[in-house]
Amino acid sequence: MRRGYIRNIEPLKILTDTQVEAIHRGTLDVLEETGVRFESQRALRMFKKNECIVDFENNRVRFPSYLVEECIRRTPSSFLVKARDLKNNLRFGGNTLYFMCSAGARISDPETGETRVATMKENNEAILISDALENLDYFPSYTPYFEVEGVEPVMLCPTSCAMRLRYSSKVSRGAQSVDTYIWEIQMAQACGAQLLGNMEAASPLSYSEDAINAGFGYAEALFPIYIAGGGVMGGTAPVTIAGATISNNAELLAALVFFQLIKPGVGIIANDIEYPMNMRSGSPAFGSLGISLHEAAFNQIWTQFYRIPTNNCAAGFPNSKLFDLQSGYEKTHCAMTSAYSGANSILLHGGVSAELAYNPLMAILDDDLAAIIGRHIEGIVVDSESMAIELIKEVGPIPGTYLDW
Amino acid sequence: MSSDILDGLYRVVLDLNFEDAEDLAKKSIEEGIDPLQSAEALTKAIREIGEGFAKGDLFLPDLVLASKVLQRALPVIRAEIKRQGKKTHTRGKVVIGTVFGDIHSIGKQMVATLLLSSSYEVIDLGVNVKSSVFVEAVKKYNSDILAMSALLTTTAYEQKNIIKDLISKGMRDKVKIIVGGAPINQEFADSIGADGYAPTAPLAVTLVNKLLGLDSGG
Repeated sequence: MRRGYIRNIEPLKILTDTQVEAIHRGTLDVLEETGVRFESQRALRMFKKNECIVDFENNRVRFPSYLVEECIRRTPSSFLVKARDLKNNLRFGGNTLYFMCSAGARISDPETGETRVATMKENNEAILISDALENLDYFPSYTPYFEVEGVEPVMLCPTSCAMRLRYSSKVSRGAQSVDTYIWEIQMAQACGAQLLGNMEAASPLSYSEDAINAGFGYAEALFPIYIAGGGVMGGTAPVTIAGATISNNAELLAALVFFQLIKPGVGIIANDIEYPMNMRSGSPAFGSLGISLHEAAFNQIWTQFYRIPTNNCAAGFPNSKLFDLQSGYEKTHCAMTSAYSGANSILLHGGVSAELAYNPLMAILDDDLAAIIGRHIEGIVVDSESMAIELIKEVGPIPGTYLDW
Repeated sequence: MSSDILDGLYRVVLDLNFEDAEDLAKKSIEEGIDPLQSAEALTKAIREIGEGFAKGDLFLPDLVLASKVLQRALPVIRAEIKRQGKKTHTRGKVVIGTVFGDIHSIGKQMVATLLLSSSYEVIDLGVNVKSSVFVEAVKKYNSDILAMSALLTTTAYEQKNIIKDLISKGMRDKVKIIVGGAPINQEFADSIGADGYAPTAPLAVTLVNKLLGLDSGG
């Protein structure tokens, strides 16, 4: 099993206990009174059978609080994902921190920032590089590139998954679109591996039929699950961080109930990917401060209050179009905040220009950043030997030195 | 009185005052104001909002809220225009929607509002729209433009399916088709046989004007 980094420091608490409680109660209120839209008759029937209030005409599910809290309790605080090679198995949760590869539509030129569609050879070489990186523990869906020359978009996800299984023995996350899960599950099983299953919300408070079908498929294959929201603060989520946290929480807890009803006890990792909106263009403001503040609150609520593992995505998607200072500080403030506030996984390696581009050279640089961050949270040893009190006394003031001890 | 109410309709859009929009529209009818003049007051204001957004003076919430004002006031005014048997002048009809499998709406809404502000009649089909619904709307409204949005790589190809359906029904040459959304580029638009693509909402309006051989004026 991959070791990852073991957090040996008290996680950051950006919220008071009262604030955590208020956000949790607010989330239960939204789930019970407003509910979440599930565009799947099969899902609606399952919710109805389990005492949710279901509006079949409008695809709306309202969740009783006792059921939500029961499902939080059923969700394990850590779980195993089986890789093709046992040495690459992962156990998410507790104090462990892993790093996940980022993804981009196209390959980015490190000198000019220009992007172009990657060839299949470049796609596979990038996977091989990621496979070799010491601090890169697993892959998300459609990674490293989500456009590859000669591959029809509808075939991209299964093709991408096949290439990752062929060129790496590290764990991969499955995709959710256009029934790709059917092929991805079988490919992984043929290799004796699990995927991290996947179901992502379409904010606000909605799940599309594609995502729900994938959710059923992955859960029934007994794969652990990655759930994600994805609101844009000011657009598809409230503009305030507290409001966006509640909206995101409601989306994720609805997914958590969905999975615990299908397979009680299934392992779940909750992802955070919430950005402020650029109010001129409507695009997410990648790399901005609001993201890391949101992540800090999110990690505190999920890892410390719910005791459910988390992943954070912001560090992997800098706003910078280049390999430059801006990219460095955007990635570092997001990844550091994630690590300090208790994230169990951080998406980091290789992302350039938000989700638009990827480059394996950036992944190599990011591996150094992962090592620094990982080492940071392992903290320092404080015992009788490392405190060196007797030594300090013995060396004394100048001309004493520590070079000859 | 007439000019006060017309000014009020103009101001209600600029002030983004969606709460009073419907009442003011109803009042204009009660006072016997020509509904064509009322429609013009609303259109003039939304045009200014669109221009402000395109210049970067206004922000996305301004655009969305102004659109909300129109959604409340215009149906009342249009019903009166129809009742009086009058005809409105528009630059053309646009059927717009987000394709099946995709429930993202903000980009589509931006384009719809800016087209409205440029004096187009916009028929917004919403999100997760099936191909048959697009085809039926193009036929029913005899639209000049079909605008389709997709925000996911995987739903982008649904735009191609809709174009295929229009071809199979012999309707492809009757409507100009534009496509947009995060995964779309010119190369993709060309590959699926669309007539145009624009990377931003203001440029979508320029594209529609160009495809219909119109200048940029309202």
